[in-house]
Amino acid sequence: MTTRDEIENLILRVAQGDRAAFSNLYSSTSAKLFGVVLRVLNDRAEAEEVLQEIFVKVWHNAGKYSVNGLSPMTWLITIARNAAIDRLRKARRAEKPAELEERIADPGAGPEEAAIAKSEQSRLTACFAELAARHAEAVRRAYLEGETYAELAARFDVPLNTMRTWLRRSLLSLRECLSR
Amino acid sequence: MSDQDQPDRDDRVLAGEYTLGLLSADEAAAFEARMVREPELRALYAQWAEDFTGLTDDIAPQAPPARVWQQIETGLFGTRERRSWLRRFTFWGGGIVAAAVLVLAVFLPDLVERGPVPPVDPPYVAQIASEDGSLVVQAVYDDATGSLFVDRESGGAAPGRALELWLIAGEDAPVSLGVMPQDAQSILRVADDLRGRVAGAVLAISDEPEGGSPTGAPTGDVLAVGPVQES
Repeated sequence: MTTRDEIENLILRVAQGDRAAFSNLYSSTSAKLFGVVLRVLNDRAEAEEVLQEIFVKVWHNAGKYSVNGLSPMTWLITIARNAAIDRLRKARRAEKPAELEERIADPGAGPEEAAIAKSEQSRLTACFAELAARHAEAVRRAYLEGETYAELAARFDVPLNTMRTWLRRSLLSLRECLSR
Repeated sequence: MSDQDQPDRDDRVLAGEYTLGLLSADEAAAFEARMVREPELRALYAQWAEDFTGLTDDIAPQAPPARVWQQIETGLFGTRERRSWLRRFTFWGGGIVAAAVLVLAVFLPDLVERGPVPPVDPPYVAQIASEDGSLVVQAVYDDATGSLFVDRESGGAAPGRALELWLIAGEDAPVSLGVMPQDAQSILRVADDLRGRVAGAVLAISDEPEGGSPTGAPTGDVLAVGPVQES
């Protein structure tokens, strides 16, 4: 297992154009990032393409790593998650209304409650548990499914402004809980 | 009035919305502009990014197939370019002498080094370089305007000869982008019908008679090549 410091060191070397370090970074982190991308996209072919995009971005942007204040895995997972969500949203923009209806009605597309439950001891999970179930679900969907305010409002069948209020209050509660 | 009553005025909430990708494009851009000058906002964002990344803790790693890494290497370092270039040269037939193929085979493997940070964040950049560094041209391309800024950092045309710049998009034959001016730095205009084809293409520089290739295809040695990449 590669430690946080090792991954950080690899990123800093990639920023200098070190290809061997880039190859090591890929070996150490691609499986986790591929897992995340697959979780978001649920399509292997798309996930492979996005994983490529992610590492091209990492190669070009490694120099920005040290200024963003994120831990190395958070930086990488954030790039991965955002790239996957971008891909998902592009596909959704091309979606017909009937397909949207179907997707929103599909309970199978939801985040894995069971998976969340497994890490019960974590602070994050404890703080999510303090939220109303539907609010917690909306925040998770925004992160793991990339759903927008409009999509969440449609899914939970509430007005858009109500969804904004849910989300914002949930974020505030989460932040206060996580800062305790 | 407490924050609880006005959650949308709270930067902690705004940073959370930004991290989740819930802001509109305009709002996100405004947030990013503020982050540049407000370290507190950067810290709030970093905190949310760390926290939400926790939602991926239970996602099991999955080994990607080996082809993904091969494609990343090819895309960034041009190893696949080498094969398709050689194939292309054989297609060009008599237009290119065998020596050019040899030159390419020798200098292609280490073609792409990372270019310098361009001054104004252009969409595309390319480093067109020979392996020995005797000819290095940095190119910066803006597809919105079709202007291709070229900066010849080292090397130049032989006496009585000219350097000509070529665009090679996909499997298509090279299309001339013009003869490189004497000045080290210059701007070439990419014709409207070619503008959209520069991204992902390869730029090449060949040795030509003064005034450029008389045939519309490269006639002399290909001295330097480099792929166009998103900056």
